[in-house]
Amino acid sequence: MTNAITYITHKSLRTSYVIQGDSMAASGPSADGNTNIPDYEYTDVNTTAFHIGSFRNEWLSRLKAEDCSYQQEDDDAFDANFAKEMGVAAETMTELKSICSLDSLRCHPEDEQPDTEVVPPDPTLKTLVQRKKKQDYRASLKVTKNRHDLYADELERLTVGRRPEEVADLVPEGEVILTINIYYPAIFEKFNYIRPHMTLLMTGSHSLAELRDAICCVSDLQVCGEFSNTPDIAPDFISKDHYKSAFFFFEGVFYNDMRFQECQDISMTVIEWAKARNFPPHSQAKMEDTQFVDLKVKVGFPYLYCHQGDCEHLVIITDVRLAHRNDCLDKKLYPLLTHKHRVTTQKCAVCHVFIGRWFTTNDQFAPSEPCLFCDKCFRMLHYDSEGNKLGDFLAYPYVDRGAFN
Amino acid sequence: MDFFRKQVKSDCEELLRRFQETDSVRFEVFSKIWREMNFAQIFYGTVGHEKRAFSRLVLDSTCRFFLPPFSFQIRVGGLYLLYSLYRCQTASPSEQIRLALKDWDDMKKFEKDAVDAQHVDVVYIFRQLMFLKAFHFTAMPTQLTYNKKKKVERSALCEEFIERASRPQQLINIELLEELSNIHDLYKKLKSSVSMTTEQADSSVNLIHKDLVPQLRSTVVDFYKWQQRKVRHLHRFLFKIICMCVFLDNISCSKRAGLLASIKSKAYGQASEVCALCYRF
Ligand SMILES: [Zn+2]
Ligand SMILES: [Zn+2]
Repeated sequence: MTNAITYITHKSLRTSYVIQGDSMAASGPSADGNTNIPDYEYTDVNTTAFHIGSFRNEWLSRLKAEDCSYQQEDDDAFDANFAKEMGVAAETMTELKSICSLDSLRCHPEDEQPDTEVVPPDPTLKTLVQRKKKQDYRASLKVTKNRHDLYADELERLTVGRRPEEVADLVPEGEVILTINIYYPAIFEKFNYIRPHMTLLMTGSHSLAELRDAICCVSDLQVCGEFSNTPDIAPDFISKDHYKSAFFFFEGVFYNDMRFQECQDISMTVIEWAKARNFPPHSQAKMEDTQFVDLKVKVGFPYLYCHQGDCEHLVIITDVRLAHRNDCLDKKLYPLLTHKHRVTTQKCAVCHVFIGRWFTTNDQFAPSEPCLFCDKCFRMLHYDSEGNKLGDFLAYPYVDRGAFN
Repeated sequence: MDFFRKQVKSDCEELLRRFQETDSVRFEVFSKIWREMNFAQIFYGTVGHEKRAFSRLVLDSTCRFFLPPFSFQIRVGGLYLLYSLYRCQTASPSEQIRLALKDWDDMKKFEKDAVDAQHVDVVYIFRQLMFLKAFHFTAMPTQLTYNKKKKVERSALCEEFIERASRPQQLINIELLEELSNIHDLYKKLKSSVSMTTEQADSSVNLIHKDLVPQLRSTVVDFYKWQQRKVRHLHRFLFKIICMCVFLDNISCSKRAGLLASIKSKAYGQASEVCALCYRF
């Protein structure tokens, strides 16, 4: 990637934003404070509602082009500029640079390279004392790094500072990046208390439909139906085609997915759904036509994503900020998954080795009701060598959340 | 990672407290304390994924010292601390410092004050952070997950670091009391020049408290005590101030306007002098 290219991308995007910004300013509020500068509605909990595109323009109008550029400027140019602007003589500048250098912060002899992965002996900082305590405790338990940590490392390594192969795929300078948490449905009783979620990064130019497509929920894959008489024709997975309707609810607006024929008349269902839950007056818009920059939201506030008729997820936008040179800058890798709750897989009740694929009810062979079997054990116990069903049980295909990770 | 929040806060406050004692805004002075405390070691002992999470925690908990309501000197210390932590962190590539849109104006004002006062090192460190692209330009100072419990644990601001200029004891200090005392004497002389005897004057034209100055002084002392004992004293303090204003207002001689103006200008002058102290080289 060359200087010229980044510069042009930045410049063009910036210009178009500034134009938008001007028109926003004309219609926006002015006298009683700018409502597109987010502030707390409840301290440390959530913000007031603001328009994401206008928020971006507010930042861009304050920053110089180089402040949000991906390009690292030249050291000497910085020094020369500084000296000139502050009226500092050359020798003062040299002294200043040495005073403010990294060397002045070094806490060990120059010829020694300390091991930064261990707590130094006899620490005085309270943080270090605490860390030592924690490490000693962990060592006494003899636990090594858990899967969760490993997985987080993996995601991190993949995404930090990534650049695209094609210039056209570069996330433009001055673009906004949103961090979005999608929580798994509360009905999943096992996880009520730890609030498992996935975290996605999206850019301002993404649409809500793209967010929808990036949300993976097991109920999008759940096979409906009882297949005990015909286990061979039970499909492996059934995709989103089952019920295509879905909507997001942000700040009084229902955003419906209208991309498919089957979705066209969901509006009525939504309105009734809203009535039943005493929702305040609301309007509707199309998910696929709504970009994040068009949205008005509160950061930190729980909103709603509903699909498959009744599978409800909380959606929280936890962060909105300008893109940075260390971000993953390849558009193609967005929506970018940065966190996913790892669910332990449910093993077969018989062999305890393989992941469960069937669950049965009314089953005389089962140690529990309902009971989970791997495909092998299920067929072995419930069918004779010719494949004839033995007994009166009911069998449902099962998609394991853990297997789906 | 929240596990370390309390310890990190206390370590940072200790460093800033030592910096405050020096009454300096020089980076040299700051970095000396940093080295004495082996502060770079705060990152030692974190591995893998912890590095990034700990950098995040440390930068988030330090950022507020760089903003109001802290005094200029503490804000300088906060800036130096942010810079030093940012440069010394073990996460690679580095975690950024979060800067919220609502705090931008405060920060630019701080930069301007530093430029105006020719604090070259303060300006240099600040511009270095911009140059190093150390900031994320964000909506809010931290990510928000609708976590209502976190609020309960939110720790109090360190009282000694807060801007002092607004405090009554700064406004009504020894010099002001002396000045008031002089004015009071002048007023007494004025009265006696009008009447035949001083005894007569004192009793007949008794428009102002005889012991105005000692009373004002004791009120300020009261206010100090209130800082330990809270509310009730403040009410009494305000009540006394109001009473005194009424007394001053009742002085029906031509000196009245001048006297009020003198007190006012002295009071404001003191306030701005206190601010100026923060800029001491
Ligand atoms: Zn779902
Ligand atoms: Zn099995």
